[in-house]
Amino acid sequence: MRVFDLGSRTLRRRDILALIGGGAAAAAVGLPALAQEPKKGGVLKVAAPANPSSLDPATGGAGSDHSILWTIYDTLVEWDYETLKPKPGMAKWSYPDPTTMVIDITPGIQFHDGTPLDAEAVKFNLDRNRSDQRSNIKSDLASIESIEVSSPLQVTLKLKSPDTSLPAILSDRAGMMVSPTNIKALGNETDRKPVGAGPWKFVRWNDNEIIVVARHENYWRKGRPYLDGIEFNIITENATALRSVVAGQNDMAFQLPARLKPVIERAKDLTMVSSPTLYCIQVYFNYARAPLDNLKVRQAINFAFDRDTFVKAALSGLGEPARMTLPSSHWAFNKDVAGTYPHDPEKAKKLLAEAGYKDGLDLTIGGYTDQDSVRRGEVIQDQLGKVGIRLKFTRGTIAEISAQFFAQEKKFDLLVSAWTGRPDPSMTYGLGFDKGAYYNAGRTADPELSKLILESRVSEDLAKRAEVFAKIQRITVEQALSAPLAFQFELDALSSKVKGFKPNLLGKPKFENISLA
Amino acid sequence: MLNAARLHIVGRRVLQAIPVVVLSTFIVFGLLKLVPGDVAVTLAGDNASEQRIAEIREVYGLNQPFLLQYGSWLAKAVQGDLSNSLVSNEAVLTSIERCLPHTLLIVTLALLTALLIGVPLGIAAATKPGSWIDGVVMAIASLGVAVPNFWLGMLLVAFFSLQLNWLPATGAVAFTKDPWASLSHAILPAIALASGGIAEVARQLRSSLVEILSSQQVRTLHAKGLPPSSILWRHGLKNVSVNLLTVISLLANRMLAATVVVEAVFAIPGMGGLIVNAAMHRDFPVVQGVVFTMVLIVVSLNLLTDILYSVLDPRIAA
Repeated sequence: MRVFDLGSRTLRRRDILALIGGGAAAAAVGLPALAQEPKKGGVLKVAAPANPSSLDPATGGAGSDHSILWTIYDTLVEWDYETLKPKPGMAKWSYPDPTTMVIDITPGIQFHDGTPLDAEAVKFNLDRNRSDQRSNIKSDLASIESIEVSSPLQVTLKLKSPDTSLPAILSDRAGMMVSPTNIKALGNETDRKPVGAGPWKFVRWNDNEIIVVARHENYWRKGRPYLDGIEFNIITENATALRSVVAGQNDMAFQLPARLKPVIERAKDLTMVSSPTLYCIQVYFNYARAPLDNLKVRQAINFAFDRDTFVKAALSGLGEPARMTLPSSHWAFNKDVAGTYPHDPEKAKKLLAEAGYKDGLDLTIGGYTDQDSVRRGEVIQDQLGKVGIRLKFTRGTIAEISAQFFAQEKKFDLLVSAWTGRPDPSMTYGLGFDKGAYYNAGRTADPELSKLILESRVSEDLAKRAEVFAKIQRITVEQALSAPLAFQFELDALSSKVKGFKPNLLGKPKFENISLA
Repeated sequence: MLNAARLHIVGRRVLQAIPVVVLSTFIVFGLLKLVPGDVAVTLAGDNASEQRIAEIREVYGLNQPFLLQYGSWLAKAVQGDLSNSLVSNEAVLTSIERCLPHTLLIVTLALLTALLIGVPLGIAAATKPGSWIDGVVMAIASLGVAVPNFWLGMLLVAFFSLQLNWLPATGAVAFTKDPWASLSHAILPAIALASGGIAEVARQLRSSLVEILSSQQVRTLHAKGLPPSSILWRHGLKNVSVNLLTVISLLANRMLAATVVVEAVFAIPGMGGLIVNAAMHRDFPVVQGVVFTMVLIVVSLNLLTDILYSVLDPRIAA
């Protein structure tokens, strides 16, 4: 086994990425070159953790879809693997004024069915994404007033209000372009017969079994992709997925839980990749009602958590303690508020007493039934128990418990779950903390916070945006609107013949750099 | 084999089966609606908002009255249309056509394994009750019942797939596509599934055989000087065949249910995985389709068992 622990503090993440990505950097530090000139050809077999919700980016909804969608669809905007800063993809963008966004499309791109990817196609997609009855991403594009084709390869967006989160939004589902010809011909059937402009084209999808994609010969990036095709074998049981890689039936398994780390370490000829992600394990609060409407109670919970121990006990050390909803490597991380809640049980007890709970407090909490969630729940129960907060756990499937907490039922005071991360931080704070947001169980918000979320979308300058996010983080942290616990590292197992894999901060693998030895 | 009287029974049983099938789908539908959780939340995905969830309920007809939803499902089902998955939009019939053969292959192989190993073990134990052979067989049987099949499955994978590299660790291949590959994928899961069955067949066979072989009638046959092998085959086994049939029929039903776990261990895209995934998302057309199919299979198996009973022992036919 070779280990690339990209969360390591001794070797900087950038250096290690260079090791994996380029032979030159590897040679410089005297390690064997891992990636020479990538070889073309071969079919990569991947154990995928979930059946996609849909292969139509507009109608799907599960975060696990992305890795598969990116093989079929390229996005208008892309991001930097390490920081998630937006960068040009199939198009470049500019803001001539704060309420106008111009998209310039790279010439010569074709969909898999030969349809040109031009301004008309982009307008068609964006209009569909923001208005179609079945579209799940309407809210992402809500700031757009109108879309005009200003030249064959240029689209102009008129905005209702300034929105600089759009480039990042266009690096996600909303920016995945589907062939208008296919949509017009097939209607609702396109989610099972998708046509995009990505490096691979769709071949086959058997539910809960397999998805096959094959090389798109007319791909716009010359010399790419390296792989002739990818087979996604859907294996929802993590341990089984890893066994399939150990047995040589698959070449790669991704998003494995930390508890499987020793299994990868014991296996011969496997490479382990572990790298930071935005995936934030946290305790959600319903702060619209007692007792969580009391700031002191929320702060007490935050002081009660020993996040370093949580990472060791619940994540086998494969994580970063979370001080806010963004990890320390993110461009918008605010280090000034990072030290707000050190582990301080005495302080927690004092705050509880001040809040009128001298003898402790009984709270209800929702959680999921899978092994890893149960383990997290036990650590949380133990840590809160030490300051006198007694938890009554209700467990169920994600669909059941999250609906009970976030939708109308409003069961439980707390929910232990995760925030899977978004390309732009304004999405994270808007969807999670804004007034009326679904992931804000109480639906209430400080008007100042709502104002700042809008403000975070005004400037294009990342430094200026970071200043606004610093204010947002100060509010969410000081008001203790949730209890972030840890950023989970991704854990992937690769067979030794897989070359060039680079993890990204979003924690959802892209296959564009992979080749087979 | 099928005389008029038996045909009458078969006809009556088929008619009796209809309400069973309808009722079971109705109950499952009701349970899915009763338990908390909502497919609209799954469909709304990561970008969920209350407004979007309400919109999805409207678009997919999820806010219609319970009986109307069930009625429209049933009306389509009797015409052979099991609707489409709400989550992935694949036709439920297509999913079942693909998944069912994988499950049936494992269950059939497991049943055959249970019989091929369980019957000789049971006979060996019954012919020498109290001997060391009997002891060993009963010990194996206890172990077979006690060992959970998912755990045995993992052990088998660790040894035969990961160590020896003889058989694949995961997945399945359609029998029609490549019979050998299909069998090689099915062997380990079938053995894992069969372990409890072997034990059960051996124990049941032993206890009913011991009872018959120690009966007055058999003692008389011994006294008459009939060779023991002839007594065992012609009088013993023939008499226990009805009991054995009951065991097989119960085993088949139980194994169909147990595939849920075994399929997860071996990542077999069968009916078990299909229904678990669908139930997690409250994707009721898929759950309904799988339940409908499984109930049909179980009812047919029971019917077949009844017919065979009457063939083996005409006294039961009444």
